[in-house]
Amino acid sequence: MTTLPLVLLLALPLGAGLLLPLLGAASSALLVRNLAALVAAAQLLVGLVCWRLPPPPLHLAWVPKLGLELELGLDNLSLPLVLLTALLTIAAVLSAPADQPRPRLFFSLLLATNLGVVGAFLARNALLFVLAYELVLIPTTLLVAIWGGPRQAGAAIRFLLYGAVSGLSLLAAVLAFGWLNANGFSFNFDDLAQASLSPRSQGWILALLLLAFGLKLPIVPLHGWQPLTYSQAPIPVVMLLGGAVSKMGAYGLLRFGVGFLPEAWAAWSPWIAAAGAVTAVYGALNAIAQLEMRRLMAYSSLGHLGLLVLALAAATPMSLQGAVAQILAHGLIVALLFACVGLIERKTGTTAIPELSGLLNPLRGLPFTSGMLLLALMAAAGIPGLAGFPAELLVFEGSWTAFPRDTLICLLASSLTAVYAVRLFNRVGFGRLDNARADWQPTHWGERLPALALTVTVIAAGIWPQALVGWSEAATASLALRPSVMPSMLGAQPAAARSASAQSLPARSIAARIVPAQAAPALAVAALPPGRP
Amino acid sequence: MSTPTATAPAAAPTPLIPPSTHRWAEVIHRLEAGGSMLPDTPENLMQIIGIYKAYAVPMDFYWRDLLYIAERVFLNPLPAFKYFPSQEYLDRPNAYAGEQSQLRIWRGGEKAHPELLQFMATGETGAMPKLLHHLWHDRINMEFAEACMQAMLWHQGMGGRFNDYLASEAYRANADRAIKAYFKGNPAMLALYALFPEMFMEQVKQMSYYANLGLFWEVMAPVFFEMSDIYDEGGFKGVPDAMNFLVNGIFAVAGRPIYHHVYVGDECIEVIPKSEGFTWLYEAALPYVEAVFYRTAPFRGTKSYNAQAGQVPGDQADFHYGILYADVFPVGSAGIPPTLLMQDMLHFLPPYLKDLYKQHRRGEQDQLIQLGITFQRSMYNVTSAVIQALRCALLYPLDDTDPDHLLANRHFFEAQMDRFLRPEARLDAIQTQAYR
Repeated sequence: MTTLPLVLLLALPLGAGLLLPLLGAASSALLVRNLAALVAAAQLLVGLVCWRLPPPPLHLAWVPKLGLELELGLDNLSLPLVLLTALLTIAAVLSAPADQPRPRLFFSLLLATNLGVVGAFLARNALLFVLAYELVLIPTTLLVAIWGGPRQAGAAIRFLLYGAVSGLSLLAAVLAFGWLNANGFSFNFDDLAQASLSPRSQGWILALLLLAFGLKLPIVPLHGWQPLTYSQAPIPVVMLLGGAVSKMGAYGLLRFGVGFLPEAWAAWSPWIAAAGAVTAVYGALNAIAQLEMRRLMAYSSLGHLGLLVLALAAATPMSLQGAVAQILAHGLIVALLFACVGLIERKTGTTAIPELSGLLNPLRGLPFTSGMLLLALMAAAGIPGLAGFPAELLVFEGSWTAFPRDTLICLLASSLTAVYAVRLFNRVGFGRLDNARADWQPTHWGERLPALALTVTVIAAGIWPQALVGWSEAATASLALRPSVMPSMLGAQPAAARSASAQSLPARSIAARIVPAQAAPALAVAALPPGRP
Repeated sequence: MSTPTATAPAAAPTPLIPPSTHRWAEVIHRLEAGGSMLPDTPENLMQIIGIYKAYAVPMDFYWRDLLYIAERVFLNPLPAFKYFPSQEYLDRPNAYAGEQSQLRIWRGGEKAHPELLQFMATGETGAMPKLLHHLWHDRINMEFAEACMQAMLWHQGMGGRFNDYLASEAYRANADRAIKAYFKGNPAMLALYALFPEMFMEQVKQMSYYANLGLFWEVMAPVFFEMSDIYDEGGFKGVPDAMNFLVNGIFAVAGRPIYHHVYVGDECIEVIPKSEGFTWLYEAALPYVEAVFYRTAPFRGTKSYNAQAGQVPGDQADFHYGILYADVFPVGSAGIPPTLLMQDMLHFLPPYLKDLYKQHRRGEQDQLIQLGITFQRSMYNVTSAVIQALRCALLYPLDDTDPDHLLANRHFFEAQMDRFLRPEARLDAIQTQAYR
């Protein structure tokens, strides 16, 4: 098998991103949009090919003196995220209006964002990861600054500042990782996984990583950029930010924190779990208080990221599996939520909750769009049969043994989703449809398509949860730092659980085919004493 | 050379009374000038006449079935087929239209309207047995007519003597006779009647309201058909013409007897005999307008009103859930939007209304709402006709030169307009064509 698919995954958005601005000025926005969607669809297709025929890692020397190598690869942690990013890019591109202003630049920047995110997921070199991570900041900031809402300047500046701090923290952490590694100077992931660092160094590096990825994810109290950016950025950008870009933070925590710094992670995990619980409660309570739909969705997203952080902190095989599932489910659901909100905003001209009512009216409202929004909120609330349920179930069940109190808090916070969903629908879905305001045109199928595709995916993932959890079973089990079941009850369970996990791998498990050896270092540290925090 | 003299402008006639300062002064002045609450525009005229036509066809079914239920189904404890009037009632000649009528006022034919018969035969789905049309709801929605009847029964005291008569000994004796005749040979029902006489009496009262409303609509259906015909012939010049036609029609049949006869086999039992002297205007038309246009009930729509939270007035006379206040948008969030009637009218829209609806809002997709709003406009016009008719009956001509008389008229109109001061009233909305 050739490494061509890995190259294509990056070359497609890169090439299109460079070529789109060269199209004639007379090119219609629709044409540019469709070309961008086609490129993202091709990327998704290549990703699916990689799923069926895993490509070998790619290793090319770039700047060896700096330790910067072009090392690309896919494993069962990064492949689903690449597929998610490609899918969300298609949805985001198609969610842009057919008369998108300055379309050549807009869609180029969207593809540049895609390039950065996919590059980060493909990177097998920490410096390369940092480069890709930083690359994302530039197009997203421009997208917010140029096409944002009335407060676009403030939102862009805040987004840039938070992003810059995040990037600098990550760079510092990665450089420290390379320089302080007693085994030698390298940024290769395999080398980092076996790095020999003093506990003090591990602590400092983890602190920097938590700052970097906590800002990107975000986690309370590092979330200051999120509500404003989500409320001001164009909808396609928010879909990518919430669905894919923020997942770089989650992926980074899992890959760098849990994977490369297991001892420090285990030591800090009670605090990380507490931060997750605080984030979940803070997000849910703020969502309840919002009077603007975009901000409500932003805080809803924040709250559900708290669950993800809890799962990562617990680091049991089941919680990590839940974390990956939550990354995927959250990405789909957030993108769907914003796709629906975007449609409502496009038709009604507002997302202010007090100004909207009767959206479910079958004749004059937006019943189809509102129905999809309701379904997305139900998925976020963890209703069985939808994508959120298996993810949250694994998160809660997997985290309970490690942090029962924080898990309980997150469980209660998650249940608050139903509160703001019902409040939202009671206000905007039902009630009088004001004749003076309700002169809206209905959404047509072309506009509904992105949200509809995401809706189908959310339902499919709920009905077939293996699509969410099957990917990561092997890798997450090998990264686990704690057993899923209390050791005091089943003393030999950790090893047995890992063995069972490995045996239950699906026959076509990508982990088993692509990087079977990569999990070994993590497995070594997984044998932490059961009594460790 | 003579100095040119400026021509004095023609002096405008000095109003005999000062302008109204009422919130609805503009509408009041229009009423005083012989107009309607609905502004006089060509589109308003087209809308209301078109909807009268679409209303008249189902109404032609309503009145026949209401009388069938009142006179034939009567107290059937399992009236599963009450919406299937017998052929006799479908062929029943209209008392005020057709060659056979003793007092022919309207030009229409005596039989059920051809469009109605066509729809009953095929519906929207095509020809199939009546029962399947019924179960598939591809039919005229008699439930709307029954809801109107129930509103009249429930509100009761709205002027006139009809409701008082239902409590009289004479009525009870007639009802008793009808009940015993109807259940003759049915000891179980007679035993029940002996045990619970008031329950049966209440049912008979309801049947009397069925008859009342049926007789009311028997008059209105040919009125609306004729208005449509006149409009098609180019006969109406404006909304006031249409309103005046209604006013004249009201007076033409104001004395029509309101009665309730029950047929048991070949026997006719007069539960409310014509000799009691109940008349169409006072015992049917005015209570109907009051109960259905203004009041109705707060529990019909999809929105729940909470009486304990003070959302429902304590006095039924203050109810305001009728079509004049209804929000037809959310299919029931305020009052009774006549959702079922709107469905019925949709089958019989004249082509010019369909074309109009295609040009606005969501075109064909939401013509149900657009026709509902048209219906609301038309009912404001009908209410204007009733107000003018009452003014004619109780007060003074509009061209009266006595300021005291004009002030009396003014106070009457202002009192009527007071009912539209509440925010739910759609009087403000119908003043512009933007309300669709």
